[in-house]
Amino acid sequence: MSNALELRGISKSFPGVRANDNVDLEVRRGDIHAIVGENGAGKTTLMSILYGLTAPDSGEIVVDGRTVRFNSALDAIAAGLGMVHQAFKLFPTLTVAENVVFRNEPRTGIFLDRAEAAKRVRALGSEYGLMVDPGARIEDLPVGVLQRVEILKALYRDAQVLILDEPTAVLTPQERDNLFVTLRRLKDRGRTVIFITHKLGEVMAVSDRVTVLRGGRAVAHLDTASTSPTEVSRLMTGRNVDLDSRPPPSLLGEAVLSVTDLTVRDDDGLVRVDAVSLEVRSGEILGVAAVAGNGQHELIEAICGLRPADRGSIVVGGREVAAADMAVTRESGLAYIPEDRHRVGTAAGGEVWANLVMGFQRRKRFRRGRFMRRAEVEEHARRIIADYDVRVAGPAVTAATLSGGNLQKLVVGREMSHAAPLLVAEEPTRGVDVGAIEFLHRQLVEYRSQGGGILLLSAELWELLALSSRVVVMYEGRIVAELDPAETDEAELGFFMTGGSR
Amino acid sequence: MMSQSSFDRLSVALSIVAALLIGAAVIALSGTNPLLAYGEMVEGALTGSGLRNTTARMIPIVGMGLALSIPFRAGVINLGGEGQMVLGGLAGTLCAIYLPGPPALVMAASIVAGAVAGAFWAFLAAAGQIWLKLPILISSLLLAYPARAITSYLVRFPFADPTVTSSSTVPVPDANRIPKLPLFGGVSASLVLLAFFLVAIAIFNQRTVAGYETRMTGLNSRFSRYGGVGVDRQVVWVMLASGAIAGVIGTHLVVGETYRFLDGDLVASGFAWTGLLVTLLASHRPLPLLAAGAFFSALQIGGLAMQRNVNVPWQIALVVQAVVIVVLAGRFVLSRRQRAQPEEIPMAEGELTVTGEV
Ligand SMILES: Nc1ncnc2c1ncn2[C@@H]1O[C@H](COP(=O)(O)OP(=O)(O)OP(=O)(O)O)[C@@H](O)[C@H]1O
Ligand SMILES: [Mg+2]
Repeated sequence: MSNALELRGISKSFPGVRANDNVDLEVRRGDIHAIVGENGAGKTTLMSILYGLTAPDSGEIVVDGRTVRFNSALDAIAAGLGMVHQAFKLFPTLTVAENVVFRNEPRTGIFLDRAEAAKRVRALGSEYGLMVDPGARIEDLPVGVLQRVEILKALYRDAQVLILDEPTAVLTPQERDNLFVTLRRLKDRGRTVIFITHKLGEVMAVSDRVTVLRGGRAVAHLDTASTSPTEVSRLMTGRNVDLDSRPPPSLLGEAVLSVTDLTVRDDDGLVRVDAVSLEVRSGEILGVAAVAGNGQHELIEAICGLRPADRGSIVVGGREVAAADMAVTRESGLAYIPEDRHRVGTAAGGEVWANLVMGFQRRKRFRRGRFMRRAEVEEHARRIIADYDVRVAGPAVTAATLSGGNLQKLVVGREMSHAAPLLVAEEPTRGVDVGAIEFLHRQLVEYRSQGGGILLLSAELWELLALSSRVVVMYEGRIVAELDPAETDEAELGFFMTGGSR
Repeated sequence: MMSQSSFDRLSVALSIVAALLIGAAVIALSGTNPLLAYGEMVEGALTGSGLRNTTARMIPIVGMGLALSIPFRAGVINLGGEGQMVLGGLAGTLCAIYLPGPPALVMAASIVAGAVAGAFWAFLAAAGQIWLKLPILISSLLLAYPARAITSYLVRFPFADPTVTSSSTVPVPDANRIPKLPLFGGVSASLVLLAFFLVAIAIFNQRTVAGYETRMTGLNSRFSRYGGVGVDRQVVWVMLASGAIAGVIGTHLVVGETYRFLDGDLVASGFAWTGLLVTLLASHRPLPLLAAGAFFSALQIGGLAMQRNVNVPWQIALVVQAVVIVVLAGRFVLSRRQRAQPEEIPMAEGELTVTGEV
């Protein structure tokens, strides 16, 4: 079988980091090739070199047996590559079809032939199981659909090799299954897929081969059929990872959060949280399970003070905060790991220290009068970097250069360092590697054992079941069930999450 | 590997050289030896009374640049510097003319009055954003028009000097004028104020908690809000500071330079807009802002000398200035593109935004 592409001896250094160290990679035509590795192992860097976005320091790229040099993504596209980032590059106000055919428009005279464009998009979509309405406007579509549009865009340009960087991180389980159907169809039609993931279950489910990166080096190339998740995770981390242990029970204290009869509307005035009441006590983790878009995010925003409550009461640390902003809720004893680390949780242009001191900057320890105590601030940053194993050269580095998972660890580390009585954790392990998941889970359990209360949201049901003391299910803005994780399973959660009732 | 800042400095130097070469070509086309013309320019800007004029012009350009840099750094686009400067200028002038008392006190009061009037006008723009949801970009710009109209009315009618035909106030009494320093043959003592603003802003930006918070808001206001920063209150404060400095600069332009508030004079100077360019070029950092402001001042004063002595129209200087701006602006777009790519890679995971590709 021939190779669709080969990378030979690729190296790339950034100041203080060797992101790729003499990496060889052979991808066979028609394979689904998974790339795994710890956060900061160099996966994204390797793919952006392959796609012409970053120039390697040394090494060569061979496509279809010919050595190529890519000066930009356009060169890579011309050579038959396509890449799907998760920061989708689409025109929000144009339609699906217009986005897909952009730069290769079918024309009648000088005008875009809309009917023809829509027809082609529909045909491609049904061939690969990527169902989208060609006339829909991008800004009206949910994330899972946008990803399909991106894949269509690549296929429309006749990409023979499709590269996907953590495509499943933001998908619902249903969307993920659909994506895998598409990937298998691509394979059946002789196309090649390279995808990055941290979820070893996905590697086992869809890939033919898997390459493990560690510290910038390719440490193993394996046939999926003859390996196991345990072996892969040992190769990634150098140790055994255990994610299945259940936390011991801990002592419950008083309520750190009481929500009563809370109603919240979204920006369009629709009721998204409908008369919800819940309580989180010190020493427990309350899990919230819900299919995306059932009001759980609005609930969290209202609790934190980032969205006004329509009606009802929210008490944090004994203080009514339904009308408060985040300065007040933080003061009352709340810390928050937000779902979107880029738009909410960090300032990409700021240094690592500047990102780590946010929320702490007014504490006595970090200032002398109106002045910032920079030495203390740096010390604080160094400690979080060390404690949470954030792979970065130092506190002065710009946050934008951190790998996805390392940025996530930075946010989690910062918020947990507040040691606030209430921790609101929304997708705390999104984008981090298995070793880091294990570590963060231990930290979260430790946090509640020390007397903290945690409100946990996660799209990963196994994570909710593994960590929570209780789980509530939200459906269409209401709490429809409360379950004991020891006595339920993912199937039952799924049943309630989709509107089932006993 | 070249560091970002040395890359910056190199490209600034290159774009200035490029601009001078283009200027030289234009001068040559008009039939003058470019070296001769440039020689006149340098001499005119940096020797004798030229040095004094360059320094004098630097005060309002750098001053307005500093004023605008404060909100810009926090992501607040104050386009109303002109209105704040003009109103502050009139308030300061009227105090200097009509307030009784010992000159030192009157001078201080007139500077404070200028600051208060400018700050008040800037506050209106902030209030427009916070309570009426009118973006500051628009409210501040719109407020420049009533500011002009109000000052115009006041100096034409209630406070007009009946003895002159132009619409202006009576002159500020000699004793109440901001004195000249014995520097380069007499530069206004407002230079000291400028130095004070510059140092204060640099310290605020680098060392204070509020300086940190404003920078974070400028980088990502949702992040700031999430971190517990009172972003609305911050908008008010940066606008107040900006308007106050603009008002002081307006006051200086009359009480320290022309001594009469002449209708339309402060607007015609274009200092507010040159200041805007300067802060944009310097990315709102005080020291580069001083350098850029000094360069533009020298260019403008040198251009006038060139026109006087070798009869090349002084607009050539403006051409050079424009080319520097265009080249530097192009550099910003370019370097942002280059940086955008590696920056977007880490965003690959978990990012939900739809970004428009341009
Ligand atoms: N532009 C850059 N400047 C400096 N360092 C960088 C830059 N881009 C990446 N790095 C560093 O290179 C290393 C590899 O980063 P990369 O994004 O490839 O990791 P990754 O394997 O994709 O990790 P993750 O699983 O967390 O997404 C990291 O240490 C990162 O901080
Ligand atoms: Mg990555």
